[in-house]
Amino acid sequence: MPNSSLIRDLSRVVGRRWVLHEPEDLLVYEYDATIERGLPEAVVLPYNANQVSQVVRIARRHNAPVTARGAGTGLSGGAIPCDGGIVIVTSRMNRILEVDAGNRIAVVEPGVINQDITDAVAPHGLYFAPDPSSQKVCTIGGNVAENAGGPHCLRYGTTTNHVLGLEIVTPEGDLVWLGGKTADPPGYDLTGLVVGSEGTICIVTKVIVRLMDCPQSTVTLLAIFDEVDQASHAVSAIIGQGIVPAALEMMDRNTMRAVEEAVQAGYPPDAGAVLLIEVDGLEEETREQADSVRAVCEELGARELRIGFSAEDRERLWAGRKGALGALGRLAPSYYILDGVVPRSKLPAVLRGVYEACDSFGFQVANVFHAGDGNLHPNVMFDERVPGATQRVLDLGEVIMRLCVEAGGTITGEHGVGYEKRNYMSWIFSEDDLEVMAGVKLAFGATDLFNPGKIFPSSKGCGEVSSRMKAAIAKVGPDAYV
Amino acid sequence: MVKQASLLSQLEAIVGADGVRRSDELSAFAVDGLTPQAAVAPSSYEQVAEVLRYAHTEGLAVIPHGGGTHMHIGNVPGRYDIGLSLLRLDQVVEHEPADLTVTCQAGITLDRLQRHLGQHGQLVPLGPAWGEEATIGGILAANASGPSRHAHGAPRDFTIGMKVVTADGRITKAGGRVVKNVAGYDLCKLYIGSLGTLGVIVEASFKLAPTAKVERTAVATFETPGQACAFAADLQRRGLTLRAVQLLNATAASAVELAQQGLCALVLDLAGTPQAVERSRREIGDLAQDAAADLRDEENAAKAWESRMRLGSTEEAYLLCKATALPTHLSALIESLETVDGPPHILALPAVGVLYASWPRLEDAEAAVGRLRTAVTAVDGSLVLERCPLDIKPRLDIFGDPPPSFDLMRRVKEQFDPKGVLSPGRQVGRL
Repeated sequence: MPNSSLIRDLSRVVGRRWVLHEPEDLLVYEYDATIERGLPEAVVLPYNANQVSQVVRIARRHNAPVTARGAGTGLSGGAIPCDGGIVIVTSRMNRILEVDAGNRIAVVEPGVINQDITDAVAPHGLYFAPDPSSQKVCTIGGNVAENAGGPHCLRYGTTTNHVLGLEIVTPEGDLVWLGGKTADPPGYDLTGLVVGSEGTICIVTKVIVRLMDCPQSTVTLLAIFDEVDQASHAVSAIIGQGIVPAALEMMDRNTMRAVEEAVQAGYPPDAGAVLLIEVDGLEEETREQADSVRAVCEELGARELRIGFSAEDRERLWAGRKGALGALGRLAPSYYILDGVVPRSKLPAVLRGVYEACDSFGFQVANVFHAGDGNLHPNVMFDERVPGATQRVLDLGEVIMRLCVEAGGTITGEHGVGYEKRNYMSWIFSEDDLEVMAGVKLAFGATDLFNPGKIFPSSKGCGEVSSRMKAAIAKVGPDAYV
Repeated sequence: MVKQASLLSQLEAIVGADGVRRSDELSAFAVDGLTPQAAVAPSSYEQVAEVLRYAHTEGLAVIPHGGGTHMHIGNVPGRYDIGLSLLRLDQVVEHEPADLTVTCQAGITLDRLQRHLGQHGQLVPLGPAWGEEATIGGILAANASGPSRHAHGAPRDFTIGMKVVTADGRITKAGGRVVKNVAGYDLCKLYIGSLGTLGVIVEASFKLAPTAKVERTAVATFETPGQACAFAADLQRRGLTLRAVQLLNATAASAVELAQQGLCALVLDLAGTPQAVERSRREIGDLAQDAAADLRDEENAAKAWESRMRLGSTEEAYLLCKATALPTHLSALIESLETVDGPPHILALPAVGVLYASWPRLEDAEAAVGRLRTAVTAVDGSLVLERCPLDIKPRLDIFGDPPPSFDLMRRVKEQFDPKGVLSPGRQVGRL
C-alpha cells in the first residue's frame, strides 16, 4: 500500500500531477533493460534541482530509499528500486542550460538525452564524445551514473573523461557543486568519484560536459574475415602498429546473420567475423592510417575490405553495427547482454572460451562488441518462457565473467555492476578493497538511502540491505554525518 | 610521542637496517622546513603496509616521498614524524605491448619508464618536468602534468588502476589493468592529486599511447598574449596534429631565448604521421602569415621543451603559482598577473586553461598573493601557490578558500585516514 503521507509530502513539492503511485503507473518503473524487477512505492518527476533536494529530504524523513532513473536503458539494473521507495525520474529536467563554444563546454540537466547534446552543439563544429548504443534515448544523468562508454571510447575515453563538474544533491538534501568549468580544481577529485558511482552516493542535478571539435575527416573500413580468430588477431595487430582508431568493433557470424536479415548489410553468409574500423583526424592522417589498417587486415586474411570516405558511405558501413542489437531479436525471443573486459592480447583465447561455454550450456551466442578496448558483449539467446532458462542464462553469464577475470580482465567495462554483478565484485576486489569503497559511501553519508542493494556484494536478494554495509554502518552509526 | 631510539629500532625491525635512512640523510626528507624524526625506504608493498600499521598504532604522521620534485606543493604539514621513500619500489611489473597498457611500481622514475616503453614504440602520456627524478607515484599524488596534456589529457584520463596502502596499513586495489573498467567506485580519481593524504600509492597501471612517427616544433612570436591566445584558438579549431601548445610571456620567452625582447612566444609541438605533420606545419605557416606573426622552426626541440617546462617548476622561484581559467579568459589573466610586481615568468597552456607564473623575488609576497587571488577571482579561476616562501607559507592556505564541496572532502579524509597519519594538513583546507 502506498504510504499516503509520503505521497502528500511529495505532491506538495512537485505537484500532484508529477507523483505517480497507482499500481498500474508504478509497473512502468519496475524494470530497466536487465532481467531484474523491483516495484517502487512512488515515482516523482521533479522539475529542477531544488525539487530534487526537497524530495530527498522527504525521503529521509520517511525512511524511504531513493533511486534515480533516466531513460531506463541501463544494462545492470542500476535504475531498479531494489528496496522499493521513491524513484526520481529526471525526464523533466532536460534543459541544456549553457553552451560555451569558445571554451568547449556545456552545462546540462541530467535528463538531457545524450544525442541532444551533440545536436545542440553541432552548429559550432563540436560534439559530445561518449556514444553508448542507446544514445538516441539514454540520458546524460544515466551516462554519468554508469560511466557509460560506446564504440568511440577507444580513442576518446568514457563519460568520466568528458565530465568536468557536477551539481549534486547529497543524502542530507544539500545542493553542492563538485569540480567546475576550469581545469584541475583544488582538492579531491569528487567529480571523478561520482561518475560511475551508480547513483549510490548522491543524485546528480547538473552536469558540466567537455565538448570536442568534430574531426576534419573520418574514414570507416569494414573487413570481412572467415574466422573470428583472424579478426581478433587483426585487432591486436592494428593496435600494435601504433594506430589507436576512433572505433574498432567486431561482429561474429550469428550477429551478421541477424543483421543481414534485418538491414541487408551485404555480409557474406559464410563469413566468420567482421571488423568495423574507424579512423579520424586530418585527411592526411586518416588516409595514412586507413592504408595501414587495410594492409594489416589483408595480411591477416581478410577476404574482403570495404572503405567509406563520405558520410553516406560510412553510414552504410555502420548500419549493420548500429542495427545489430535490434536485429538480434530475430534470433530468439530474448537475449541477455553481457559486458566484460579482457586485455586485448587475450581476446582470441577468451572468445574461444565464450563459444565453448555457450555450447556447453546449449545456448546460441552472438558477439557484437568493442574489440579495440577488449570490451566483450556476448549476447546470449534464450526464451524467457522456458522454465529455468533465465536462471541458466544467468549461470552462463557468471561462467563468462569468470573467464574475463581469469584472463586478467574485469566484470564490467561500461554497463556497471548494479544488482546483477554485485556478487562478482569479490572476485576482483578483496574485503579490504571493498571496505575502502564502502568508506566513500559513508563519507557521503549515503548509507542505504540512495540506490540500495547495488555494487556491494550481498547474499541477500533484492529488498534486503547488504550485510557488509550494515556492519560498516553499525560501526559509525547511521547518522554519523547528519 | 615515541622516543626516537625506539622509533628507529621499530622501523629497522620492519624494513631492515638498509631500509632506514641515516640521521644525516634526513634533511633530504624535509618538507616546508620540517624534518622528520626518521625516514625509511621499504623494499616491498608489505613493508610499506607494516610501516603504516606501526605509524597508525602509534599515531605518527607519515609523508610519502618519490623523487622529491613536487614536494613543495601542499600546505605546511601539521605534523611530520616519518619520511617514507618509495624509491626502492622501482620496477616495471607488467608490460604487454600488444595490450598498450603498463603496470609499474610507484618509485620508478618517469624517464626510466619512458625508456622502457620507448623500446616498444609506446609512451605513457605523463609529462611534467624533472622526469629524471620525478617518480610515477609522486606525479600521480601531485597530479603533475605537462604540456602534452593538450593532446593526451591529464593523469586522471589514462590511469586505469592502482595499488594503494591505506592509512592503517592495508594493501588495497583500485581499478584494474584493462583499459575499460567500471567495477566499483573509481578510487583512482580520488588518489590522483590527493598529495599523499588518503593513501600511499605503491603501484599504478596506465593506458599507453603509441609514439608519434614524426615530431616537429615551430615557434610563433606575438606582441601581446591576447594575439597569441587568439592564434592558438584558431589553430585548435582546425584539428591540426598538435601535441602541445605553450604560450610564454615576454619575460619567459626572452629568458629561454625563444623571442626577441618584448615579444611573447607560442611554441607549437606537432606530432603524428609524416604527412599530417607536414600539412599541419604548412597550415600554421599560412595562418601566421595572415596574422603577421613571425614563425620559425625550432631545431633542438627536446632541449627547448625541458627548459620551458622547468620555467614552470623552477627551484629558483621565490613564488610559483599555478592558475586556471577558462581558455577565453586566459590572456586577460596573463595580463593582470603581469602587473603584479615582477614581471613574472609565465608559461601557459592556452587550450587547457592552465598557467604557471613564477617570480624570482617579490617586495611584499603576502600583498602580491592577495593581488593574485583578486586577479584569479575576477575570471572565476583557481590559484594554487605551488612554491611559496616559508616566511609567509604557514599563514596561508596555498589553495585559497576551500571549495563548495569542502565538507565532503573533509569527510572523505576522515573515512580514509581518521587518525591523520598521512601527510596531515597538506591538502586544501589543511586536510
